[in-house]
Amino acid sequence: MSSAILETTSTAATMRRNFWRGVWRVMKRKPSRLVGAVIVLGFAFMGVFGPMFYPDVLPRDTSRLYAPMSAEHWFGTDGQGRDVLAQVITGSRYVLLSALVTAVITVVLGTAIGLFSGFKRGRWDTVLMRLTDMKLTIPGLPLLLVLSTVWSFGSAIEMGLLLGLLGWGGVARAVRSQTLSLRERGFIEAARGLGLSTTHIVGKELLPSMAPYIAMNMLIAVTGAVYAQVGLFFLGVLPYEADNWGVMLNLSVFGGGALTTTAALPYMLAPLLAILLLTLGIVLVVDAMDEIFNPRLREE
Amino acid sequence: MITGEGIVKTFKQRGNVLGAREVRALRGVDFAIPKGGAASFIGESGCGKTTLGRIIAGLETYDAGELTVDGLAMSALKPKQRQPHFRKIQLIHQDPYSALNPTRTIHQTLNAPLTLRAKQTGRSKAWIEERAAEVLSLVGLDPGSVLARYPHQLSGGMRQRVVIARALTVDPEMLVADEAVSMIDVSLRLGILALLKDLRERLGVAVLFITHDVATSRYIGDDGELYVIYRGQVVERGPVDTVIADPVHPYTQSLLSAIPVLHGLERPGEQPVAPVESMEDGQDESGCLFAPRCPFRGERCGERPLLQVTEGIAQEHACFYPERRSVVARPMSEV
Amino acid sequence: MPGQAPGVRIDGLTVVYKTPAGELPAVRDVSLRLEPGTITGIVGESGSGKSTLALSLLNAVQPPGRIAAGSVDIDGLGDVVGLRGEELRKARGRHVGYVFQAAQNSLNPLKTVGKQVLDLGRSHGVEDLRGLVRDAKELLGRMGLDGARVLDSHQHELSGGMRQRVGIMLALVLNAHLVVLDEPTTALDMITQANILKIVREVHAERGLTTLVITHDIGVVAEVADRLAVMYGGRLVEQGPTRQVLGDPRHPYTKGLIRAIPRLTGDISEARALPGRPPTLATVPERGCVFRDRCELRMDVCETDDPAATAHGDRIVACHAVKVREHA
Repeated sequence: MSSAILETTSTAATMRRNFWRGVWRVMKRKPSRLVGAVIVLGFAFMGVFGPMFYPDVLPRDTSRLYAPMSAEHWFGTDGQGRDVLAQVITGSRYVLLSALVTAVITVVLGTAIGLFSGFKRGRWDTVLMRLTDMKLTIPGLPLLLVLSTVWSFGSAIEMGLLLGLLGWGGVARAVRSQTLSLRERGFIEAARGLGLSTTHIVGKELLPSMAPYIAMNMLIAVTGAVYAQVGLFFLGVLPYEADNWGVMLNLSVFGGGALTTTAALPYMLAPLLAILLLTLGIVLVVDAMDEIFNPRLREE
Repeated sequence: MITGEGIVKTFKQRGNVLGAREVRALRGVDFAIPKGGAASFIGESGCGKTTLGRIIAGLETYDAGELTVDGLAMSALKPKQRQPHFRKIQLIHQDPYSALNPTRTIHQTLNAPLTLRAKQTGRSKAWIEERAAEVLSLVGLDPGSVLARYPHQLSGGMRQRVVIARALTVDPEMLVADEAVSMIDVSLRLGILALLKDLRERLGVAVLFITHDVATSRYIGDDGELYVIYRGQVVERGPVDTVIADPVHPYTQSLLSAIPVLHGLERPGEQPVAPVESMEDGQDESGCLFAPRCPFRGERCGERPLLQVTEGIAQEHACFYPERRSVVARPMSEV
Repeated sequence: MPGQAPGVRIDGLTVVYKTPAGELPAVRDVSLRLEPGTITGIVGESGSGKSTLALSLLNAVQPPGRIAAGSVDIDGLGDVVGLRGEELRKARGRHVGYVFQAAQNSLNPLKTVGKQVLDLGRSHGVEDLRGLVRDAKELLGRMGLDGARVLDSHQHELSGGMRQRVGIMLALVLNAHLVVLDEPTTALDMITQANILKIVREVHAERGLTTLVITHDIGVVAEVADRLAVMYGGRLVEQGPTRQVLGDPRHPYTKGLIRAIPRLTGDISEARALPGRPPTLATVPERGCVFRDRCELRMDVCETDDPAATAHGDRIVACHAVKVREHA
């Protein structure tokens, strides 16, 4: 008897192992995916550990304002003589953390509302979807501009929270339509006929079938959130409280005149390059999601 | 024992600006399937046979009439109370590809209902494992080689067996097989039919077979009852072999005449019946539903005939002019 | 018009598909003759290669598949395997009419049937479009439909059986005399199926066609075909006159398949399923007989040698055991 129990736990462990082996196989299938994963992991590392390598206040070298690229300053210096690369790295924590918070909130809220709406249907569906419609019609940027006058976004988490609360509408709609089509599938009907609980049906049958979809949305939400907040800081409507890629862009263009002179160009290009690289990494990884979560594509 | 009396179901289709269109899927259907018995609903697509199967499995509601499961009227119960009764009636889907969750292994698929059952009856984890292996053996699969697999790693026939095994986890009283072999390779169909028959004999599970292919309905047992359904009404009902050999309703006769003859092995029936064709097949709502297509329509057909018994005819039928016709092909060896 | 029915000679045809495991044959070394004016039926289960074979007739195998060897010689056209581009496009429709699998769903939902007939005519450079529409109307009328009304209809206004007839009309309206019907009655009701099969037979005779019917349903072939060819795992295992093959099957697969068909009358205890499962592209054995794993007559030689198709009078059978018996 105990051997049977042992067997169950061991099959669960085997399955987990098989899953990761499958993920590895999927990633290996295209080198671009590995490149994407390395980029994304690199950014995660930069956000977590990067700022630790620098002092809280970056040293200024007032003799070298807007220095060109050199071995010492890879991306030159800014208007106060601070190293640009150091700023990109120390600024990444705010950007990435708030983007992550946004993505998590967007996906969790969007998925929960979409699932509930699509699974329950009827009155709940109508109410929630009207709410979503309303939310989708509120223009995000003007609202943020208004909010920024009364709210200072010094904390990355607050920023992420706000963007997340504004962003779940699209995911909710998409998840709802997926749920509506999945609930007509034979295996969901069978689960209901067998008397399985709603928790089981939603958690074990519906969610895994939507996993690639949710994971993709999550990754794309990260890039969306990066654009949104960098855009906000670039416009300069927010107080420059935090070191931030958006603030760098703002200062390089409006302070250093990067669009008209070449001196501040590296200062502008560095954060842009960071954003571009992050987007590229995510796009390359998204490509693998379908195959990772679909057992058939994973094994082949 | 599962019975239905005067089951009616009307679907409202979202129509155009002028209003919704009503589709009468079932127009008062009676049936009775005894414990461990067998029945077949046959008819063309859109005749209501699938809707009836779904109503019996508790996946669809009905508008009028009564469904009783072991003497209990289902409409008198609240949805929550109905559920355990409908659990005894398990639907086997037509499509074994969508009936299994592609992201879950067979082990996970079988464990979910078994865990629920173990909780309710206070059984151990070991029982779950044993039972999972047992139901797979019952459907003729080797648990050792199947449990750890995903659905896509199995053939259509094996998947349909897993679907049946999953239904068996709740010890059902009846299996409702809706076109359960139509998507399975021809050489393997009989295997699934034989399995259903075998489960009837070994476990005493009743089988309700829903199909457009009359021939397959013979293979679940010769004690089965055949219900021929046309546009939501049962037009002929009787023992399988009687209805096939001596059909009396012109619709049944048309249906049987349309089945391809294996020339070289079989000789076609002498009096094949071909229904009249019209651009608007079956729109007329007055009188006998089959009359517009019936080659034998008579004066009385302006009225709607009910299922009835007449002298000298073994089965029930809904026709004012019932007449035996030899429409079915016979094996060469018999002639 | 009659007397134009072309003959078709398929010789040593091999079609391979590119997969991660290399190029695998979906059709292997198939030789088949379609005599002018006959209806030939090809029967096979899923993965038998029957649809691939049908596509080869038009040289229409899509990548990752390609015709690796063999020839398809059609009277009046020559070897289709060598045709390319514009020549090939012209041949389709003009010489070879094709009714696709699930033709019920292959109409353009946004255009009326009539517009689609005109499109077809224009793309083949037909000058007398009026005459083309007249022909279409006549064909539909011949199949028991109100031609004018159907030409004015969109797909959703037609029933499954009507769409299937429209599909047949589109295959014939350019006056093709070789017609390929891929699963012509799948997803149709019994009575509709019987009507369509009757129409196929009648139109075939009246217009003087050579017809190829591809199906998984032996019943369909039994109803319409003069000759029957059975495919399994990419090989043609048996062919001959339909009645002879059905009445006295030689190849163990044909025997098993016929025995596995649920029948309306007769002793049901004689019927049984074939053991095992049909092979897929990936599981077809590389050498030896493709059917040996499910065969009750298997011998040692079946493991190593692919049985050659051997003629026995009117019949052609590819089986070591049958060959041994015939020569004993």
